[in-house]
Amino acid sequence: MADDPNLPSADVVPVLEARGVTKHYDGVTALDDAHLSVQRGEIHALLGGNGAGKSTLIGIISGANKADLGTILLDGEPITAAGPQATILAGVSTIYQELSLVPALSALDNIFLGRELHRRVLGISVVSDRRRMEETVRELASDFGIASHELHTPVSEFGALKKRSIEIVKALAFDPKVLILDEPTSGLEDAERVSLFEYMRTLRERNVGLVWVTHHLEELVGLADRATIFRDGRNAGTVEVANTSIDQFLTYMFGDQRDEFGAGDTRHLNRLTPLDDAPIVLSARGLNRGSVVRDVSFDVHEGEVIGLAGLAGAGRTEVVRTLMGLDRLTSGTIEVDGRRITPRSSTAAYRAGLAMLPEDRKQLGILADLSIAANISLSRLRTVTWARFWVSARRERALAERYRTRLGIKTPTVTARIGNLSGGNQQKAIVARCLNTSPRLLIFDEPTQGIDVSAKVDVHALIRHHAADGGAAILIASELEELLELSHRVLVLKKGRIVGEIRDIPKSIAAGHFAEIKSKVLALSAAGSAA
Amino acid sequence: MSDRHSGRMNGHAIVHRILIDPTLGVLALLVIFAVGAAILLPVFYAGNNLLNLVGSSITVMILAIGVTVVLISGGIDLSVGAVMALSAGAAATSMRLGLPVFAAFGAAILVGILAGVVNGLLVTRVGLPDFIATLATLGFASGVLYIWTQGVPIIGYMTPEFRLVGGLQPVFGQVTLPMIIALALALIVGWVLSSTSLGTRYFAVGSNPVAARQSGIRVRWVKTQAYMLSGTCAAIAGIILAGRNNNVPADLGTGYEIQAISAAIIGGASLMGGRGRVLGAVLGAITLALAINIINLVGVPSSFQKIVIGAILLLAVFANFVSDRVRSAALRRRATHFSSNVA
Repeated sequence: MADDPNLPSADVVPVLEARGVTKHYDGVTALDDAHLSVQRGEIHALLGGNGAGKSTLIGIISGANKADLGTILLDGEPITAAGPQATILAGVSTIYQELSLVPALSALDNIFLGRELHRRVLGISVVSDRRRMEETVRELASDFGIASHELHTPVSEFGALKKRSIEIVKALAFDPKVLILDEPTSGLEDAERVSLFEYMRTLRERNVGLVWVTHHLEELVGLADRATIFRDGRNAGTVEVANTSIDQFLTYMFGDQRDEFGAGDTRHLNRLTPLDDAPIVLSARGLNRGSVVRDVSFDVHEGEVIGLAGLAGAGRTEVVRTLMGLDRLTSGTIEVDGRRITPRSSTAAYRAGLAMLPEDRKQLGILADLSIAANISLSRLRTVTWARFWVSARRERALAERYRTRLGIKTPTVTARIGNLSGGNQQKAIVARCLNTSPRLLIFDEPTQGIDVSAKVDVHALIRHHAADGGAAILIASELEELLELSHRVLVLKKGRIVGEIRDIPKSIAAGHFAEIKSKVLALSAAGSAA
Repeated sequence: MSDRHSGRMNGHAIVHRILIDPTLGVLALLVIFAVGAAILLPVFYAGNNLLNLVGSSITVMILAIGVTVVLISGGIDLSVGAVMALSAGAAATSMRLGLPVFAAFGAAILVGILAGVVNGLLVTRVGLPDFIATLATLGFASGVLYIWTQGVPIIGYMTPEFRLVGGLQPVFGQVTLPMIIALALALIVGWVLSSTSLGTRYFAVGSNPVAARQSGIRVRWVKTQAYMLSGTCAAIAGIILAGRNNNVPADLGTGYEIQAISAAIIGGASLMGGRGRVLGAVLGAITLALAINIINLVGVPSSFQKIVIGAILLLAVFANFVSDRVRSAALRRRATHFSSNVA
C-alpha cells in the first residue's frame, strides 16, 4: 500500500480516498477519473458548478450509486461491500441536501433507522429498545436543541430547521470517521448556520474527516482547510483554502466560461432614486389570514423590487401565498393597477397580472417529465394553440427558443426533459413560464436556493432587468445580503406583522451603509418594534 | 413510554389527540352504528346475531390486517380476495387428495406466501405499479382457481378439524377458533408494527423510500415482505372460509378485496403510505360487518351492501381529511408559537 504511486504526498494515510472514479449516466459522463483525498481532522470542501459531478461522487462514496470504474478507500482499505448500509456501518455518514427523513416516524426512530438498538425477547433481538436509544442520543440531541420529549414526536410535525437538526444528530449518532455534508446550510437561518459551523469545528478536533459540499464560497473562509474543485466531471484542482481567493475559486469552477457571467454585474440597473411617485402596481390593505398574516398593508410601484425579510415562520411566504390565491384571506383588499381583485385561485391571480416563482422548485415548480418547452408554455397555453385547443408543437418550440436565448437557458434542445437540466437552468425555465404571462408583478420566493454561482448571477440579472423594464417584483430570500442587494425597499415581518420598513436601499448601499442596514434588518426581525 | 407522555398532556392536547387519532374516528363510527341499531332494531341484540356478526367479519378482518401492512409500506394489494380463494382451493384439494389436514393447511399458506412473493417481485423487480401488479395477480389467481375447479365448487373435504377452523364448532363457550386466530394475528402484527425494527421499516419505506434507502434499508425486500405477509393473511382467511363455507366455489373471493381495503382505510391507513394501524383495521372490519348486518335486518336487498360500503368508505376518508386539517392547523399554530419563542 505504502508505495502505491497514487497516494498523495501526505505522510498519513487519508481517512477517505476516491481514486479514478468514473460514472456514466445514459451516455453522459458525470464523473471522469475523479480523485478526492480527505485527511482525519480536516474539513475538506467539495466545490463546483451545477452538474460538475459533486453529487454523483457523494452518491458513490455513500454507497447509493455504483461507480463504473474506480475505488473508494477508507483508512487505506478499499470498501468492498456495496450499499448504503455497509457504508454507514464502515463509518461514513452523509447529511443530504434534500431533507431525507421519514415523516411518519418519530425523531428517535429516524435517528436509528436501519441501526436500531434491540432488546432480547425470548432469545431473539427484534424488539426495538427505545429507552436505550433515547439514552444514547439524548445529550447529542439536546446539543442541537431537540428536547427529549421531542424525540418521540413524528418528524412530520417539525419545521425545516428542526428537521435539519435531526438529520445532523442522525449522522453524528454513530461516531462516524467521515461525515459528508451536502449543502448542509440550505434552509438554515444565520444563527443555526453558525452553530452548525461550530459543530463542524468540534468534529474536526475529534479527528473526523469532513467532506463539505457548498455553493456559498464565502462560508469557506476560516472554516475549510482544503478544497477540491470539480468542473464538468473532472478534477480542476485541490487547494489550501487559506491561500485561495474567491476569484481563484471561481476560475477553478468555471474556467473560461467565467467571462460569460463575469460581465453580468447588473448592479448599475438599480435605481437610486425613490420610486414613490411611480404608478402603483399592487396595493395590499389590511391583509389577514388567521394568525399567520396579520394586518399587512403595502404598495409596490412600477420598477420597484420589494424585499420581504424575517425569520423562518415570520409569514413571508404566507403573505405572497395569499396574494397568489393559494391561501384564502380572512380579510383585506388587494388592488392591481387600481382594480380590486379577489384571488380565489392562482388562475385568477395570474389573470390579474401576478405571477410567482415558487419556493420549492422540485415539488411545486417543475413538471419533471415534460419538456422544457411544455413547462414554459404551460402558464399561457393559448399563445401556442390553434383555436385555443390544438397545441402547436412548432409554436411551443419557438416560444421556448425565444426564452432560451433571452434568459440563457443552457440545454442542447428545448424539447429535452426539464428534469435533466441543472437546478439553475430549471429555475430559468420557470422564470420563463412566469414571464410568459407578461405579469405586472412577479413574486420570487427563494429564487436562488440550491443553484450555482453562475446561475445565481443570471437570476439576479433577470430580477433587475424585470424591474428596470418597469415591472414590479416582490422578493423573498433567506440570504440577507442577496435580499438587500436586489431590493429597493425591505419590509421586515415578524409573527405575520410588518414590524419595520427600510427605504432607499440602493442609495444607502451606494453610500457605503450596507452593514448598518443589515444589522437594522436583523434587529427588527428578532426584536420586532423594539428596534 | 406513552403513559409517561399522557401524564404531561393538558386538556387541549387530549382533545387534539382525539381529533387526529384515526382509530378513534372508526371507534366513534362503530359506537354510533351499534347504539343506533340497538335503539331502532330490537332484533339486533337478540339470539346469536352479535356472534354471527363478529364471525362474519373475521375473514375481512384478517385480510384487512395484511392489507394494512401493505398500505403502510406504500403499496396496495388488490389480490387478497383471489389469493384467499386460491388458498382455500389448495387446502380443499389437498384434503381430497388424501393428504393430512395439516399438510392441507400448509399448502394453503404456501400458496399465500407465493402469491406475496409474486406481487413483491412484480412491484420491486419488474417495476410495475403496485396497483397493476396486484391486479394481474388477482386475475391470475382467480383464473387458476376457475380452471382448477372447472366452475364446479370443490366439496367433500370437510373434517372435524375444518369445522373447528371454520368456526362451525366453538372451542369453549361461544368462542370459536377463527376469533382466537384473528385476535392472535392482530396482536402479533400490531406488536411487530409498534415495537420492532421490522415494523419501523414498513413505515419508513412507505413514508419516504428515498430516505429509507439512504439509511441503509433494503426497500425492495421490505416491500416484498409486506406482500408476503398480506398473502399469508389471505391464506389464513382462505382456510377459515373453506371451513366455514363447506365448499369452495371459483368465485369465493370476489369482492373481498374491496371490503378488506375499505376496512383498512376506514381504520386510518393511508393510500399514500406510512400510516395505518392494526387496531383500526380490526375495528374497520367490524364496522363494515355491522353496517351490512343492519341492512340485512332492516330488510334492504343485499345488493345495497356495496353502496353502503362505498358510503362508509367516503365517510371515513372524509373524517381522515378533517383530522388532517385540524392537525395541520395545530401545527401552524405551534410553528408561529415557536418562532415567537425564538425571538
